[in-house]
Amino acid sequence: MEPTAVDPIKYEMYFHRLWAIGEEGRMTLQRVTASPIVAQGGECMSSFYDTEGVMVLACSGHLRFAAATSQAIKNMIEYFKESPGFYDGDQFFFNDPYVAGSHTYDMMVIKPIFYEGELIAWTATSTHTADTGGVLRGGALEIFHEGICISGLKIVEKGEFREDVFRTLVGMCRDPQYVGLDMKAMIAGNNVCADRYLGLVEKFGPEFVEAAGRRMIEDSEGKARAKLRSLPDGTWVSREYVTTLDRKSRKAVAQQLYCTMTKKGDELEFDLEGTSPQTDTDHNSTFPSTAAHITLALTNALFWDVPWSDGKMKPVTLKIPEGTILNCTFPAACGAAPRVGNVLVSTICECVSKMLYAAGRVDDVNASTTGNLAYAGGPGYFYGGHTRDGIRVAQGLYDIHGAGMGSAPLRDGVNTGGHMNIPSAGISDIERIEMQYPFLYFTRGHNPDGSGFGQYRGGLGSYRIYWIYGSQDCSVDYKPYGGVAQGGYGLCGGYPTGKSVLRYMVDAGMELLDRVKLGEYPDGTGMRDGTWGRVVHPDGVPERVALPEGSLLIDYVAGGGGFGDPLERDPALVLRDFGRGWLTPKIGEEVYGVVLAQDGSSVDEAATQSLRERVRAERKQLGEPPSGKTSALDPAQAGEYESVLRFHASLEIARRNGQHAIRCVQCGHLYCGAEENYKNYALRRILDLNDYMEDALPSGEPYIGEYHEYSCPGCQVQLQVDLFCPPMGGDPILWDTRIDV
Amino acid sequence: MAQANGYIVGIDTGGTFTDVVVMSPGGEVWTAKASTTPDEFSRGVMDALTEAARVLDVDRADLLKQAVLFKHGSTVATNALITRTGVKVGFITTRGFEDTTEIMRAIGRVDGLSEEEIRHATWVTKPEPLVPRERVLGVRERIDYRGEVVVPLSREDVMDAIRKLVDEEGCEAIAVSLLHAWANAKHEDDVRALAREADPSNKVFWSFGSELAQVAGEYARANTAIINSFLGPTVDRYLGGLQTKLEEGGLEGPFLIMQGNGGVAHRAHATPVSNLQSGPAGGAIASAYVAGLLGHPNVITADMGGTSFDVGLITEGYWRYAAEPIVERFRMLQPIIDIQSIGAGGGTIARVDGETGRLLVGPQSAGASPGPVCYDAGGEEVTVTDADLVLGIIDPDYFLGGRKSLNKEKAEKAVEEKIAKPLGLSTVEAAAGVYDIVNSKMSDLIRQQVVRTGHLPEEFVIYAFGGAGPVHSAGFSAELGINKIYIFPTSPVFSAFGVAAADVIHTRVMTCQYIFPAQPDGPNERLDTIENELNEIMTGEGFKADQVEFRRFFTMRYRRQTAGVEIPLPWDRMTDERLRELQEMFETKYEELYGVGAGYTKAGMEISAIRVDAVGLVTKPELKPQPVEKGDGSQAVKGKRNVYFTRPERGFIETPVYDNTLLKAGNEVAGPAVLELPFTTIPVPPGAKVTVDPYLNLVMEI
Repeated sequence: MEPTAVDPIKYEMYFHRLWAIGEEGRMTLQRVTASPIVAQGGECMSSFYDTEGVMVLACSGHLRFAAATSQAIKNMIEYFKESPGFYDGDQFFFNDPYVAGSHTYDMMVIKPIFYEGELIAWTATSTHTADTGGVLRGGALEIFHEGICISGLKIVEKGEFREDVFRTLVGMCRDPQYVGLDMKAMIAGNNVCADRYLGLVEKFGPEFVEAAGRRMIEDSEGKARAKLRSLPDGTWVSREYVTTLDRKSRKAVAQQLYCTMTKKGDELEFDLEGTSPQTDTDHNSTFPSTAAHITLALTNALFWDVPWSDGKMKPVTLKIPEGTILNCTFPAACGAAPRVGNVLVSTICECVSKMLYAAGRVDDVNASTTGNLAYAGGPGYFYGGHTRDGIRVAQGLYDIHGAGMGSAPLRDGVNTGGHMNIPSAGISDIERIEMQYPFLYFTRGHNPDGSGFGQYRGGLGSYRIYWIYGSQDCSVDYKPYGGVAQGGYGLCGGYPTGKSVLRYMVDAGMELLDRVKLGEYPDGTGMRDGTWGRVVHPDGVPERVALPEGSLLIDYVAGGGGFGDPLERDPALVLRDFGRGWLTPKIGEEVYGVVLAQDGSSVDEAATQSLRERVRAERKQLGEPPSGKTSALDPAQAGEYESVLRFHASLEIARRNGQHAIRCVQCGHLYCGAEENYKNYALRRILDLNDYMEDALPSGEPYIGEYHEYSCPGCQVQLQVDLFCPPMGGDPILWDTRIDV
Repeated sequence: MAQANGYIVGIDTGGTFTDVVVMSPGGEVWTAKASTTPDEFSRGVMDALTEAARVLDVDRADLLKQAVLFKHGSTVATNALITRTGVKVGFITTRGFEDTTEIMRAIGRVDGLSEEEIRHATWVTKPEPLVPRERVLGVRERIDYRGEVVVPLSREDVMDAIRKLVDEEGCEAIAVSLLHAWANAKHEDDVRALAREADPSNKVFWSFGSELAQVAGEYARANTAIINSFLGPTVDRYLGGLQTKLEEGGLEGPFLIMQGNGGVAHRAHATPVSNLQSGPAGGAIASAYVAGLLGHPNVITADMGGTSFDVGLITEGYWRYAAEPIVERFRMLQPIIDIQSIGAGGGTIARVDGETGRLLVGPQSAGASPGPVCYDAGGEEVTVTDADLVLGIIDPDYFLGGRKSLNKEKAEKAVEEKIAKPLGLSTVEAAAGVYDIVNSKMSDLIRQQVVRTGHLPEEFVIYAFGGAGPVHSAGFSAELGINKIYIFPTSPVFSAFGVAAADVIHTRVMTCQYIFPAQPDGPNERLDTIENELNEIMTGEGFKADQVEFRRFFTMRYRRQTAGVEIPLPWDRMTDERLRELQEMFETKYEELYGVGAGYTKAGMEISAIRVDAVGLVTKPELKPQPVEKGDGSQAVKGKRNVYFTRPERGFIETPVYDNTLLKAGNEVAGPAVLELPFTTIPVPPGAKVTVDPYLNLVMEI
């Protein structure tokens, strides 16, 4: 199909102007909002759509919203075109996650734009607003419990603000002032966008604007397809886990996300068959939420240089089985959909990163930014109750936006780099938090040993220790300890996650301050061993727990995944991390094979070398190839193969007499034909998480997963670390990369 | 403060030149320049003074002796931060929060980057902190958000930290920033006292967060203290050395330092961190000064150089400060004049996207080397300057006043091959497209800046600066609906001129919370405290109480909001009635900013910050208007050439070229015309005209 013809110069001027207008709308939103998560965290969006609701352009902001709003508009056209109809000056409030968005907390205000009496476009603004009324977070069994859920209601009608609608909506929330300010912020953002959009139409003419919009969508599709064509064809598979509460047993239960990504020519397909059934908690994702998260994963990892319109998703096909946690059936609750979504993003990016590596796009390869062992368990971060000023609130504390980023093929991940879903994410200053929330922090720091180990380690996540201070009414959501990593992946022999990340709550009481004044200071170890009071492990795993004043909490945020064999890490970097308090000597030895001098000031080179040799020898001695043999081919012919394509830091496809095989880049070990899984011939060791983790779960339950570590039979370099959860079943030997040769 | 007869000297060290402006009480102005000497900046300063003395035909010693005010803006601080060549710093903070400056509120990963860079999420990393984690030490202490001491300061921890940082690590400077010191500085004051004990000879340079900013936000405040310490010894050494040289050279008057807040201060009162961005500040002061002279309440300053386009605003006569300015990727709490930037300059690259055929202009730049294709220095990518050349706007033999000759043929060939052919356009249409697109992008940035203030572009005039600003000014102004553009033949020395014209300014910003219905006592007491402190400083600056003007601002917001709106106070102190009026002023301004109906009175209101500027006015030059002489400026025509105009119609027109130096006050040049200045070129479209005003400024009306 020929692209829509537009004057290239006017088109470029139009393009930048439209983007600038969207930015103006978003900035308005961020300045007017009451949500710290919007103002400082950037969880919002302004965007433009054609008359059918196809997205023409989104500005920066929360990528989830960019991907979501199209469907809301399309449905509104279907439902409301006749009654009540669309008129100049209308604005609709919307937050139905079964149509668009991730959960009822994703609120949108949508405005049709009219020019000379005709509807010519739509604009929308969205925010993440932490209060919708309903039951407090964690307790919902059905969508009906999750507060207001509106599939389109005029909050502004023909330019008149509908006080009746506004009061009704905010009146159903705990904190009407806060929700009301966000609604007003969205209306203000839309007004800016619509006004300026009309200026654009005046300048360029309605026909040009219409054609340019169409061209923008085509261009995005064209760029996306061109990028796909530049990548090798093949199939990539990933499998990650999440946990939630099983209401019957009142224990943690795991689910898996299973993704098969097939890339052929300029098309990309995601098949999520194999994903676990939906749950009777709020731990579900609707189809629109799943689609939005897949879109944002691709926007970040693959299509970052493609303009943000709906066109970029045209080459992408989604197959999401119904009745699973990724496509739950109405009226399942879905408040925790963004958490499922985060793990989904990780599951998608695992496949995409491996594909990008095989294309040699090293700058774009990243290990996961999600994933921590048992990170979901214990007290969460959705607070409810009254502030010190007596205001009734339902609020989230978004220190989770301080996650460690994934490592890359040539560098460590960025420590506390933010949140991949929101390009400009940030966390709030503690001083600002303490002015609003009834907390006193004792620590916000980088989490030692807290990210995926590897030659390049994942970015460190953060942790915090804080104390309930100044409130007589505070509660928080609570989840059972999951016992398995919540998503996350390492690449090329790096680990998906780090260690020692268990959220705890201790009844320290008000006397804690007296002890601190006398010189003691709360830390993670002291909290676990009872130094600061009894570890509170509430009976029956309630969905929420009260936080009496004087409660002391420790809370961890995910770190990034690692890249490459940890034994290849420069010992100087291990020493540096130790010096900064980011790594314990124990992990330095066990994982990195680096021995530090007694005083911790230098690396013991000789001891390090011999320890690393010993670990490699152990891999050789204790590792076994699943197939019983280390090669399906004649190893003597390894040297006769010619390199064709390197798809992994240590593995390549090589060719001899038209036959393609997988070979070690380091030592030349020949595994098998390219149409087979190399892992069958690699040395595998299985590490039970119960032997690996430092601390037992506070619930006394066991960890439920194992690491499958694969290394090269020839040189013992570690090739891959898979997390496998036996109770979930499936083939333990994941065939993650199949390149079509 | 001296207001007597004598010279006022303003000297500005820029990247390439060190400029001097000397003003006499009678309103005469002389300028001179010398090359900047980065190995020892003070040498360039002395060279420039020697040159100025030559222009004035006096001895340098006489010039210095007769200088009643000597004001200096230098790039030393900014330069040391850009090149990360400050001293070894240690950082002391509250125990448990030693990672704050590594965590950077997570937003440090993207702070100071452009949208285009941010979108490449897998590639973006944080800057290396100025203080490595090993030299950050925590001490036991804690103050809560109300300023109450929760845990007393551990003297032992402080002494240990000082010993480690100074004796073991060999730090030359230490920064201290403790949690909630904005609300109560007691513990930082205690650390200061202990530091005197531990370091009686004062060999270490100390900075304290609470002294530099009484504003909540521990990350930016810590950065402010760290940057101050990082730059401190370098800036001190430089200014101390220069002061000695000047005094030995004859200077007796006060030596005042230009600050990023747009004011000067005595060396003793000017913190090193306040030296940052003093160059742009000089430009802003000059603009504000000229705006006052010409009666422009609202001005957009638009500076287009080789790689970037910088926009600043003057509204109601004043420049604006950024809330948390980001300098060299570090977020700070300092009153620094707000200037926004995008990658659009003469060296900005234009190219056709392979897949979509889009004509992309920027943000990449060819820089000065290899530079545009027409520089003939190896550059192969078409740039904005190449397009300007193809369009005949700039003369290949008179670029930058003839200091550089350009290869037009090469530029034409590149535009043809790389842009025209792929798009199916003629070479000239392609070049005109680049010209239009870059103008449009610049107008988008300006519009964004302006609407953020609650104003509309039509309420402004444009002051165009930089080598490329005047070249493009008619283009981007027309896009904005602004029809008056000012270009100043003196603009190459504008920063120095601004430095010379600067008043003494000290600014204090404080976080607070006064919830309505509020009592006047709280804010009034706070104002008393701030103003007493400022008065003391201004006394030190040589001003009597009645010579100091205070400008007061309250930041207002609806309760629960994070951002606020700054309202200038028309009163010196509050009363019940005024507090009521303040609420109305806030809601009016709010609706101006965000639209009618955006306000939400029911949410409640609060005052969230107080800012006071103490201004000590100093003698300004009184520029003398020239006698006006009617005429069409034809005496200045030096030739004709074909110039492509994009408005009112597109096409080449044979256009007269004027030598600006030959134009006289009162001359009116009708477009089409090209005016050539030694540092830039002004295309005047058909239908537009340029008038030379009595101050020899060029006023283009389009």
